[in-house]
Amino acid sequence: MTAVSRGLRRLGHTGRAPLRWLAGWWRIIFFGASLLVLAISPASWRADVRRSVMRHIYLDTAPILWWFTVLSALLTLVITRIVVVTALSYGLSRYALEMVIRVLVLELIPLTAALFVALRCTIPNGAAVAEMRRIGHFEHLLEKGVDPVVTEALPRALAGIFATITLAALSCVVALVLAYLAVYGWTPAGVAQYTRVFGHVFHPTVALIFVLKTLFFSLAVSIIPMASGLYDVEGDGSRESAALQGLVRMFAVLLLLEAASLAGNYS
Amino acid sequence: MAMQDKPQTPVQSSEPAAGRPVRHLELKAALLLVFTALLVTGSALYLLYARGFFEPTQKLVLVADDSEGVVVGMDMTFSGFPIGTVRRVELAATGDVHIVIDVATKDAHWLRTSSVFTLVRGLVGGTAIRAFSGILTDPPLPDGAMRPVLRGDATAELPRVLVSARELLDNLGALTAEEAALRTSLANLQEITGKLKGPRGALGLAFGSDADAAKVVAALDRTNALLARMDALVAKADAQVFGSEGMVRDARGTIHQLNQLLGDARASLRSVDAVLGEAQGIGANVRGATSDLGSLRAEVEANLRKIEGMIDELNRKWPFARDREVKLP
Repeated sequence: MTAVSRGLRRLGHTGRAPLRWLAGWWRIIFFGASLLVLAISPASWRADVRRSVMRHIYLDTAPILWWFTVLSALLTLVITRIVVVTALSYGLSRYALEMVIRVLVLELIPLTAALFVALRCTIPNGAAVAEMRRIGHFEHLLEKGVDPVVTEALPRALAGIFATITLAALSCVVALVLAYLAVYGWTPAGVAQYTRVFGHVFHPTVALIFVLKTLFFSLAVSIIPMASGLYDVEGDGSRESAALQGLVRMFAVLLLLEAASLAGNYS
Repeated sequence: MAMQDKPQTPVQSSEPAAGRPVRHLELKAALLLVFTALLVTGSALYLLYARGFFEPTQKLVLVADDSEGVVVGMDMTFSGFPIGTVRRVELAATGDVHIVIDVATKDAHWLRTSSVFTLVRGLVGGTAIRAFSGILTDPPLPDGAMRPVLRGDATAELPRVLVSARELLDNLGALTAEEAALRTSLANLQEITGKLKGPRGALGLAFGSDADAAKVVAALDRTNALLARMDALVAKADAQVFGSEGMVRDARGTIHQLNQLLGDARASLRSVDAVLGEAQGIGANVRGATSDLGSLRAEVEANLRKIEGMIDELNRKWPFARDREVKLP
């Protein structure tokens, strides 16, 4: 009897797992939508929230901006060199530049920027929010009539979005400049041809997919860790559990977004 | 404010926003926002420029019978330089394909009414649309012009190439067959090389039989002997002609004597020349004497005429002059 009841309980746990998984995703989506609504609501932009947003924007972006730019420049130089030399050896040099732009600017740099921001900013921010919730800081704020989502989660999420977009934009520009220099050298003679190749690669559809991908990457790396920390989607509510949940779900979403972008670009 | 209300925990101090306060934070954040906005706006403007958004264009419609390989966004080149972009590919009411191309106005002067357009599909790479303008002084192509496009498909040549390759392989197979001429020739060649390696070598191969080759060898030996005798003969002739008692020395003595004789003859001739000079002087004297004789003779003749005249005069005047009248009987 005891064994049967234990088995039924296990079966019940097993049956509820997909539901819990779906509920977790629903909470993340709902939290993201709520956050976006709060972001565009003028009532949320009180002076203290504005200051908090500015503070997080600067402190989440500025310290990693130059490091990431240097790293992406190094990556650009290495990959450009490999692609150009390989294309030359096969007599396909006219396709080298297009390939460099596609591989680096369209695919690698936005994904790298999103992962860098996630590991450096948003996952620690999500863990901090989970910690605040665990020690009862949110109840303390609610008692004072302050919404913790607006004062604590919104600035961190907006800072994550901003950091991802800034890093991606700056790294793409640096990569474009370095790719030009690697292929043509210190001469303005190739600017017209390079601009034409760039325009050829960034077809309106491709440009739209690139913008949407970067935007959704920034949303994913900013909202998912925050939602995991705020709502304790799964697990025991500890700091490690929130970070792990955020990481796994965020990687899954990034993978899906990258796959969707590849399908949109090359199918 | 909210930050000061929070309890400090190790996790909060590990997040990026933790730490000591930053001076002029809002100004720096605003600058960062402006920087990002400028970056994104500049990138968008560059993209629009690269896509030709700010560049005036004119339309060109190319009419083709097949749109395979033609995609929106591909370039049309002139002398390798892209001057236009395919904006649209559509099926016309007549069943033809209309390839609508935007040509940048600044490059449109390369296209003339006599320009030719080709659509080439290569074995490697994509399809290429090319424009050729032979006479650049022709009128420029008007906006919205419709021109036929000539198709060239490298893959269309593949079946012909395959057929040729198959024929080549068949010929190769026939050449290397069991009873083929090439195989027989190779066998003969092998036999020939075997003979070359034999005792008679190339001579046996050239004359067919060993006896003939032996004759050639004997002839060579005799020729060698003859050459040796010739050599001895030439040595003897050399001794007789150029030796110490040879003909050359005698000839040299004879020539010396001839030289002496010629000297004597030259002296004799000089004497004869003097004699002739004297004879010439004598001749001149004789010529002078002859001229004196002429004048003497003239004088004698004049004197004689005078004497004759005087005698005639005497005869007339003389009493015994003869009667000169003739009296007829």
